[in-house]
Amino acid sequence: MNDIIFRFASRLDHSKRYNKVKADIDDLLNNPDNRYKKYIDSMVIFLIISSVAILIYEVENPVPHWMDTYDIYFVSFIFLVEYLLRLWVLNDIRIGIIQEHRDALYLNRDYRPWIPLKRSLFEKLNYMLTPVAIIDLLAIFPAYRPLRVLRLFVLFRVLKLLRYSKNIKQFMEVLANKRFELLTLLLLLVFVVMTAGIALYVLEEQINPNIDSLFDALYWSLVTISTVGYGDISPVTNEGKVISMLIIISGIAMISFSTSVIVSAFSEKLSELKENRIVEQINKSDKFLIICGYGQLTKMFLRQEEGIEHNYIILDKDQDRVDTAISDGYDAIKADASRHDTLSKFSVDYSKITMLCLTNSDIENIYITLNAKIVDSKIEVIARANDSALYKKFVRAGADHILMPNSVANTMLLAAISQPVMHKAVLAILTGKNIAKIDEMTLYDDNILIGKMVKDVDFKSMKLLFIGIQRGRDNPFMLNPPKDEVFQGGDIIIMMGKKISHAHFRDIYQEHRV
Amino acid sequence: MTKRAFLFGYGRHGRAIAEGLKLEEFQIVILESEDTNLKAAQDDGYLDTMLVDVTKDSQLEALSIEDDDKVICVMDDEHLNVFLTLSLRSLYEHSFLLSISDSIHTTQKLKKAGANRVISLYEVSANRIHNILKRPTATQLLDGFVTNHSDISFKEMTIPTGSMLDGQMADDINFGEYRVLLVGMIDEELSHGFLFITAGVEHKIDAGDTIVCIGDDEDLEEFEKSVVNKPKLEESI
Repeated sequence: MNDIIFRFASRLDHSKRYNKVKADIDDLLNNPDNRYKKYIDSMVIFLIISSVAILIYEVENPVPHWMDTYDIYFVSFIFLVEYLLRLWVLNDIRIGIIQEHRDALYLNRDYRPWIPLKRSLFEKLNYMLTPVAIIDLLAIFPAYRPLRVLRLFVLFRVLKLLRYSKNIKQFMEVLANKRFELLTLLLLLVFVVMTAGIALYVLEEQINPNIDSLFDALYWSLVTISTVGYGDISPVTNEGKVISMLIIISGIAMISFSTSVIVSAFSEKLSELKENRIVEQINKSDKFLIICGYGQLTKMFLRQEEGIEHNYIILDKDQDRVDTAISDGYDAIKADASRHDTLSKFSVDYSKITMLCLTNSDIENIYITLNAKIVDSKIEVIARANDSALYKKFVRAGADHILMPNSVANTMLLAAISQPVMHKAVLAILTGKNIAKIDEMTLYDDNILIGKMVKDVDFKSMKLLFIGIQRGRDNPFMLNPPKDEVFQGGDIIIMMGKKISHAHFRDIYQEHRV
Repeated sequence: MTKRAFLFGYGRHGRAIAEGLKLEEFQIVILESEDTNLKAAQDDGYLDTMLVDVTKDSQLEALSIEDDDKVICVMDDEHLNVFLTLSLRSLYEHSFLLSISDSIHTTQKLKKAGANRVISLYEVSANRIHNILKRPTATQLLDGFVTNHSDISFKEMTIPTGSMLDGQMADDINFGEYRVLLVGMIDEELSHGFLFITAGVEHKIDAGDTIVCIGDDEDLEEFEKSVVNKPKLEESI
C-alpha cells in the first residue's frame, strides 16, 4: 500500500504536464496579474448576479424550468469545480510523501507516508475553515426551493463577490485595521443595549401592552439607540422614558464615534488605496516605464515634444515631489524604488518594464538598478550617472543604458567653443529638433527593400540623408555603404531627415508588402 | 593667435571643461569665488587662477576680457551664475558667453541675461531616453559619434578659396568617393544659419562656407586634407 502511494506520488511529480497544469491553474486562480484571470472573474461575477436575479425574479413570477436548472445545477457545478480546484492547488501532497520516502531511506527507518499525508490534509482542512472557503462552500449548495429560508443561501453567492471585487476586499482590510476600536465599540453597544433592554423589561413588562418578552425590550432598545426609532414599541412610564433619553444620548455618542473611526481608517489608507489602484492600472499594460525620481531630468523628459507612447508611473521617496508630480498632472506614487517589495508589486512576468533611474544621487541610482535587476533581469534599466567616473559601476550593476548629463553638457560646451557649426548640427540632432531627426527602420523578412541596391532607393527625393546600415548586432556599422550594396533581411537602416520624411519613407517601404 | 577662455566656476562642470579646453590648447583663466574650488584648480595645475567676488562689477571690469575671448559661466550656485552672466554681458557686449543650465527656467533666465549659448544639462539626456525607447540602434550609433567612443564622428571644415569644392553644387559632389557624408553646412551666401542637407535646398558651396561631415575619423582627416590643400580637380567630380 505504502509503495503504491509512493509510486503514484513520484509519477505525478515526474509528470511535466501535471505540474504545468497545476501551476497554470494556481496562477489563474490566485495571481491577480494573470492575463486571463479577468475573464474568469467576469464569468463568476456574471454567474452570481444572474443567480441573484433569478432569486428576485421568482418572488413574484413562476420561473421557467431551464432557469431553475441553470441556477441549481450549472452555477453550482461551476462553483463546485472552482472550490475543488482551489483546494487542489493549495498545497502539494506528493512533495511531502516523496520527501518522507527519502528521509526514511536515509535514516533507514520505516516509511510512513500517512504523516505527510495527514499534515497536508490538515492544511487543506484549515483552509476549508477560513471564512472565504466557507462562503465558497455555502455558495455551492443550490437553493433548496421548498424551504423559503434556505433560498437565502443564494445570498452567499453574493458574499463570494468579496473575493472578486478588490474594492470590497480593500474596504474590509481597512476595517480590519480598526478591529480594536470597532470591537470596543461593539462591546459597549451590547452592554448598553442589554442594560437598557433589561431595565425596560423589568419596569414595563406588566404595564406596556407592546412588550411581551425580553426580546421585545432588547429590540426596542437597539432600535432606539441606533436613532432609527420605529415607534412600534415605546415606553409608557416616566422611568421608561428616562431610560429612553439616556440611551438616545449614548446612541448619538456611539454613532459619531464609530463614524469617526471608520473615516479616519479610510483617510489613513486613502493614499495607499489610490497608489494600489495606479499600480494595478499600469500592470495591465504590455509595456510600461517606471520612472524613479521626479527631478529636472524627469520633468524635461516628460515635457519633450516627442510625447511618450508608453504608459508610465513615477516613483519618488519624497512626498513633496510626489505632490508636485501629481499637481503637474502625472501619475506618481510615494515609494522607495530601492526596496525589493516596491518593484515586485509590478507585473514583471507579464509586462515589458523599462526602469528609468533618474534621481540626482548616483548611489541611489546604482542601488535601484541593482534592485531592478535582482527582481527580474528582464527589466530594462536606463540609469543616470552624474559622475562619469561611475560609468563602470553602472555597467557592473547591469544598467542597459547610461545617461551622463554632466559629461554630455560639458562636451557640448566644448564643442560650442571649438567647433561651433558642428555643435549646432549635433545639438539639433541630439535634442530631437524636427529638421534633423535620426530614425531607424528594421527590415523584416517581407520588406520590399530586401534584395534592392542602395542606388535603387531614392532617399534624396524624400529629403532623407541615408547614413548607413547596421547589419547584425556585432558587426561594425556600415556608414555610407557603396551604391551597389544590397539590403538584406534584418538590416537596420539609419536615416536623417524631417519627421514627415521618415513617415513618408515608412509609408512606402514598410506598409506595402509584397 | 592664442585662444583665450575665461572659466568662471571650478566646481561640478568647471573641472571637466577646463580639461577639455586644455586639450584644445586654450589659454585658460580660472575664476572662482570659493577658496576651496580655487585651491582645487591650483592643485590640478592651472596657473592662471584668481579669486573674484563676482557680484562686484569693479572686479569683473578689471579682467579686461576681449571680444574674441570665450567666457564660460559654470558657477555651482545657479543664482550667482545668472547674475554673473548678466553683469558680464553689460560689461563686455561682444564677447562670447556660454553657460550650462540645469532647468528649463534657468535656461530662459540665462538667455535673457545675455548668454550666447546655453547648454541645457538635461535636454540632451531627456531626449536620449526618448530615443532609446523608440530607436535604440540609431541612438547607440549617435552616442558613439558624439562621445568619441567609436571611430565615426562629426567634423566641421571651412572651405578655403581654391578648394576643389569651391563653386560646386552640393548635389554634384560624390562624397561617397571619400567615404564621408555631408550632413549640412553654413552657406554664407544664403544665411548664417545652419542648413541641414535634408532641408531640400540646392546648395552651392563657396569659399568661406562651413560644411559638417560625418565619417570615419581617418577618412574625415583625409577628406579635410583634400578639401583644404588640393586645388580644384576637374576629374574628381
